[in-house]
Amino acid sequence: MRCPLLPAVALAWLALGSGPARAAEPPPLTVFAAADLVFAFKEIVPRFEKALGVRVTLVLGSTGQLAQQIEHGGPADVFFAADQAFVDRLVAERVLLGETRALYAQGRIVLATARAIGWKLTELRDLTGPNVRHVAIANPAHAPYGKAAEEALRKAGVWDAVRPKLVYGENIRHTLQFLQTGAAEAGIVALSVATVPEIDWVPIDPRLHAPLNQATAVVRRSPRPELGLAFIQFVNGPDGRPIMKRYGFLLPGEF
Amino acid sequence: MVSVEIVKRYPGFTLDVSWRAEKSVVGLFGPSGAGKTLTLQCLAGLIRPDAGRIVVDDRVFFDAAASIDLPPQQRRIGYVFQGYALFPHLTVEENVAFGLRDRPRAERLRRSAEVIERLGLGGLELRYPRELSGGQRQRVALGRALAIDPALLLLDEPLSALDVPLRRTLRDELRETLRGFETAAVVVTHDFTEAYRLADRIVVYESGRVIQSAPRAELLWQPASEAVARIMGLANVLRGTVVKATPERIQIGWRGQTLEAVNSPTRSYLPPPDSPIAFFIRPEYVRLIRKDRGAPDPQHHMNLMSGRLVGEADFGTVWTLRLRLDAPGAPAQGDFDLEVEVPHLVYEILEIDRDRHWQLSIHRGSIHVLPA
Amino acid sequence: MDWFPVWLSLRVALTATALTLLAGVPTALLLARKRFPGRNVLEAMVVLPLVLPPTVLGYYLLVVIGSRGPVGRALAAVGVEFAFTWGAAVLAACVGSIALVIKSAQAGFETVDRQLEQAARTLGRSEWSVFWSVTLPLAWRSVLAGAVLAFCRALGEFGITLMVAGNIPGRTQTLPLAIYDRVQAAQMGEANALALIAVAVVVVLLFGLSRLARLRY
Repeated sequence: MRCPLLPAVALAWLALGSGPARAAEPPPLTVFAAADLVFAFKEIVPRFEKALGVRVTLVLGSTGQLAQQIEHGGPADVFFAADQAFVDRLVAERVLLGETRALYAQGRIVLATARAIGWKLTELRDLTGPNVRHVAIANPAHAPYGKAAEEALRKAGVWDAVRPKLVYGENIRHTLQFLQTGAAEAGIVALSVATVPEIDWVPIDPRLHAPLNQATAVVRRSPRPELGLAFIQFVNGPDGRPIMKRYGFLLPGEF
Repeated sequence: MVSVEIVKRYPGFTLDVSWRAEKSVVGLFGPSGAGKTLTLQCLAGLIRPDAGRIVVDDRVFFDAAASIDLPPQQRRIGYVFQGYALFPHLTVEENVAFGLRDRPRAERLRRSAEVIERLGLGGLELRYPRELSGGQRQRVALGRALAIDPALLLLDEPLSALDVPLRRTLRDELRETLRGFETAAVVVTHDFTEAYRLADRIVVYESGRVIQSAPRAELLWQPASEAVARIMGLANVLRGTVVKATPERIQIGWRGQTLEAVNSPTRSYLPPPDSPIAFFIRPEYVRLIRKDRGAPDPQHHMNLMSGRLVGEADFGTVWTLRLRLDAPGAPAQGDFDLEVEVPHLVYEILEIDRDRHWQLSIHRGSIHVLPA
Repeated sequence: MDWFPVWLSLRVALTATALTLLAGVPTALLLARKRFPGRNVLEAMVVLPLVLPPTVLGYYLLVVIGSRGPVGRALAAVGVEFAFTWGAAVLAACVGSIALVIKSAQAGFETVDRQLEQAARTLGRSEWSVFWSVTLPLAWRSVLAGAVLAFCRALGEFGITLMVAGNIPGRTQTLPLAIYDRVQAAQMGEANALALIAVAVVVVLLFGLSRLARLRY
C-alpha cells in the first residue's frame, strides 16, 4: 500500500464520529456565569438540578467575553455577570429580558498576601513597600474586580507607586493563581475566591470603589425562559443564599 | 517536416530565428546562450513565443497571428532534457512507460518492454535513476521520450553530461537509435563534431539569430562567414587581400605569398582586387613535404611554403604543430602562422621532434574562402 | 473522568487537518509556482492568523458567523447553527493552523525541479496528473510535516475556540479548554490527567509518523 496513512486516518475519523462527539441532547438550561462564581455555583447547580429535575450546563468565563458571545448568539439561557453594567447594556439592546433583571450579589475585594512570603499586609499602603515586588490584580480594562481594584488604589492614593509593580490577570481566578504560586507577593482579589490556603487576606473598605453589583437576567432568545427565571430565583432564594454567603458574597437586601 | 519561425523577447536578449528541415535530424549548433534551448522549449510548448509560427508534419503547433498555441500535452513531442529529468521516485520501467498512461495495459507493457530492450536497458527495469550510470540514465531519458512514438524528438545537449570516452560511444549509439526509430529529431549541441555526427542538417545559432542553415557537409566545407567559422572552432582563420578573383579561383595575397584557392562553389563570389578577404585552412590538410623524395614539384605541391616549428602539442592520437613561415613580417596568429595537424605515425616517421624546419603545401581546394 | 473533551478534540483536530490540507495544498502550489498580482497580499493573509492575538481573531470570526453576522444570519435562515458548535471549533482550529500547512507545503513544492514537471507535460500528462504523479510524491514529506504541525496546533487551539465556539462543557469544550477549566476550578488532578492525555496523543502520533517517514519514495 503506497500510503497507509490515509486509510488509517479515515478509520480513526469514523471511529471518533461514533463516539460522544455530541452530547446526547442539549440540556434544558445553559448558564453563562462570571468566573468568580465558580465555587459557589458548583454547589448551587447540582442542588438546582436535583430540586427541579433538569440538567444544567454551567459555562464559566470572563464577563466581557461571555457578554460578547451572548450578543452574537451564544447559547445561554441566563447570564450571571460580575458587573451589572454588562447586563444593563444587554437589556437595553434587548438581548436580555429586562423584566427578569435582578441583582444577585455584591462582590467584595480584599487585599491578599501570599502566605509564602511569611508576613501579612494589612492595608493598601503596604503595597508600596520595597519587599512587595509584584502586585496582582485583575485587568481593569475588562474585569470588574480589576476596575474596582484600580479605583481603590487610586482612592487610597497609592496608584502611581503601585502601578509599576502591577501584574494583570485575565480574570480573578487567573489573578488568584499569581498569588497561589507566589509569582506575586500581594494582590487584590475577590472575596469569593480568597478562601484558599495559599493566601491571607484583609477586607478593603468598600467605599474606596464603586459597588460591584452583580446582576443577572434571562436571555431573550432562550426557548424556556421560565427555567432561567427559576434558576435566578433559586440563587436568590433560601437554597442559594446561604451558599453565596458562605463564599463571601454580600446578598441582595444586605447592601 | 519542421518549420520554425519564432520571436521571443527577454530583457537584454531577443530570439529571432527562422529555419525548416525535412524529416531527418536537425542540429542546432552554437555557443551557450545563443537561444538553442529556448528554441527547443518553444517547440515543445513549454515557452510561448511572442510571435511566429511553428509547424511540425503539417500540424500547426503555434501561430501567433491565429492565436493557436497547442499545450505540450497535445504536441506528441519527445523531449530529452539536458540533465535527463528522470523521475527520481519511479523505476526505469515506470519512467519509460510514463507517457503511455492513456494506452491499454497490455500495449503499455509491450511498448515499454520493447523500448527498454532496444536501448539495451534490459535487466534494469526495477532500478531507480540514482542507481544508474550516466550512460544508462541517458538511455532511459531517450527511451522515455521514444516510447510515446513522438512526431518529433528534441534532445538538449544529450551527451554533454557524460565523460569524454563515453561520449563517443554513445554518440554513435544515439545516431543508430535515431536512425533505427526513424523519428525526426532536433538536437541541440555546442560541439561541432557531435552536431556533424548526429545531424543531417545543421542550423548555426549566434546571439539569438540563425547565421547559417545548411546540410552538414556544406557547413563543414563552406562556413558562410567568419562568424560561423569561429563558432565551429575552426583553426587557421586568416585574413588576406584579394589579388584576383574568377568564378573558379581566387588568388589571395597573404604573408608575402600569393595563395591560390578555389572559389566558393555554392555562390558566385567575386570580390574586387585589393579587397580584404577571410579564409581558413584545415590544419589536417596542410602537408608537410618529405625530405627524402627530392625537391617538391610545384605542379603537384600547390601553395608551397616553408617554415619553422615554434610550438607543438601532443593530443594523444595527433600532434598539433605551430609553424612560423620563413617570410618576413609579423606572423598571422600571434607567434605562428599556421596550425598543422599530423597523426602520430607521421610525426614519428618524419622525426619531427628532431627536424624543425619544413616545407609545406596546401591543395587549393583546402583553402576555404569565407564570404564577408 | 470526563472523556468528552478528548473525543471532541481528536475529532476537531482530524477534521481541521483534513480541511486545511484540502484548502492549503492548492494554495501552497499556487504560491510556489505562479507569479500573479496580489500575491504578496495572499502571502500576508496566510500568515496573519499567526500574528493576531487569538481572542481578536476569535472576535472577528464571531462577528461574522454569530447571530448578528452575515454568514451567521444566512445560515440561520436555512436552519443551520454554526457558532458555538463543534463546527466553529473546527473553524477556529483551521484558522489557527492553515498557515503551517501552506508554508510547509509551499517550501516542499518549491524544491521540486520544475523540469520534472515539464517532462511530465511533454509526456502527455494533464496538470492534475502532473501534480499527483510528480510534484506531490516528491514533496510529500513537507506536506506531511505541515499536516502534523497543523494537527498539533489544532489539538492545542485555545483562544480562538474559546471565543467562537465557547467553553460549553459537553458541547464545545475541547481538551485545552477543559484543562483550563479544571485549573480555574482548582481541580488539578483532572487537569493534569487531561494534559497527560494530550501529550500522549502527540507522542503516539509522532512515533507513528516517524516510522512512516522511513518509507522511501
